[in-house]
Amino acid sequence: MDLIPLYVSLKLSIVTTAVLTVLAAPLAYGLSFLKFPGKSFIEALINLPMALPPTVMGFYLVTMMGPKGVVGRMWESMTGGSLLFTFLGIAAASVVCSLPFALQPMKAAFQKIDRRLLENAYVLGLSRTEAFFRVIIPNSISGIAAAAILVFLHSMGAFGILIMVGGSIPGETKVAAIAIYEAVESMNYREAGLMSLCLVPVSYIFLLLVNKLNREEF
Amino acid sequence: MKPRYLAYIILLLLIMPSFAHAEEKIRAAVAANYIQTMKELAVEFEAGTGIKVEATFTSSGNLYSQIIHGAPYDIFLSADEDRPNRLYQEGLAEEPFIYAIGKVVLWSAKKDFCKTGDWHEALKRESVKKIALANPDIAPYGMAAMRAMKDTQSREALQGKLVIAQDIAQAFQYASSEAVDAGFCALSATLTDAGKKGCFFMVAQAPPVVQAACVLKGKNRPAVSRFALFLISSEAEVIKKKYGYR
Repeated sequence: MDLIPLYVSLKLSIVTTAVLTVLAAPLAYGLSFLKFPGKSFIEALINLPMALPPTVMGFYLVTMMGPKGVVGRMWESMTGGSLLFTFLGIAAASVVCSLPFALQPMKAAFQKIDRRLLENAYVLGLSRTEAFFRVIIPNSISGIAAAAILVFLHSMGAFGILIMVGGSIPGETKVAAIAIYEAVESMNYREAGLMSLCLVPVSYIFLLLVNKLNREEF
Repeated sequence: MKPRYLAYIILLLLIMPSFAHAEEKIRAAVAANYIQTMKELAVEFEAGTGIKVEATFTSSGNLYSQIIHGAPYDIFLSADEDRPNRLYQEGLAEEPFIYAIGKVVLWSAKKDFCKTGDWHEALKRESVKKIALANPDIAPYGMAAMRAMKDTQSREALQGKLVIAQDIAQAFQYASSEAVDAGFCALSATLTDAGKKGCFFMVAQAPPVVQAACVLKGKNRPAVSRFALFLISSEAEVIKKKYGYR
């Protein structure tokens, strides 16, 4: 069995999870605690990838990240290379598409924090930033962990968006899901079966973990 | 596991690909009719030169659109002449060359399918409910099959039976798994192990599929030129013949 696609999948999931855990926390904080105009519009916009077909996201990302697109041109002037069909390109796509899966559990966890705890923190002289790191984060660890696992699983399962943005370049953008699709297409059922078999227990165990984490919150 | 160790493992995972880049390799974008042939050619080429060829297989149309959008391939083996020519005219590729000429067949997993008549009569039978065809807009083999159907005035009669596959390999997979009764495939597919299990009609009305390749602009390293030459060498010819290409 070719292990490289599994490795690319794993790498993609780890990168996406790492980026989103850091990125989604302040966003979730803003959406849970701050009041600003247009908040629900922004939230709906962030959640849009969850509701749209991957092909719609893929189409927009390909146009934006292509040599004629805004992001693509910026990237090319900075690095001299293309963003499409590279690992960074699929990582960026994966981050955008998995953002809602990070945001929802984090927001839920933040909103469950007892407000009196926060008020105490402010009375004791903590700034908003200090309170974020010393009160909010420690009190919503299981929510953050659930978010991380969901993002990890969602990026392991991504297919349509990756094939549009990444093509299927061995060792670079050919993730396990694409390799399985291609193995079936070229009737390499043994390879497809083995690789699928690798993914099932991983996803199952991680989902069990999410359940456990969610239960601990109550 | 302590978080520190986990961090080390993650770091290691992220660094790893830099090893993979060390050895010399060629990235080829290859039309789906050429999967088996390409795999054998790659083994042969690597054995002779030590240069690894990594191929991505899908329809020519799909690969073309990826190349237009800046996909990092070194060489493009299309299933038509038109797309490499367009890339050449757009300044995205070197001058194309023909590396293979393929044929369209109608293949079925059921051995008695091909006992009588010819392909368009066979398709009109009551018992034939579904026929796989590679998307003619992006797959040259699908387009050639479509032309044959038009020539024999059978297109209208078959319209309701056609199942559109993303590329010619998928059309063959549909037929091989008997998800469809028959499929328009490449002659090369019938010469694989799976292909020998079924039977096929030649589709004489389909024009021969002239397949051209081109080295992409700026990718003309010695290794790539060497592979381009290898594609039309006599060593490659043996493998190509085995799969029914001229």
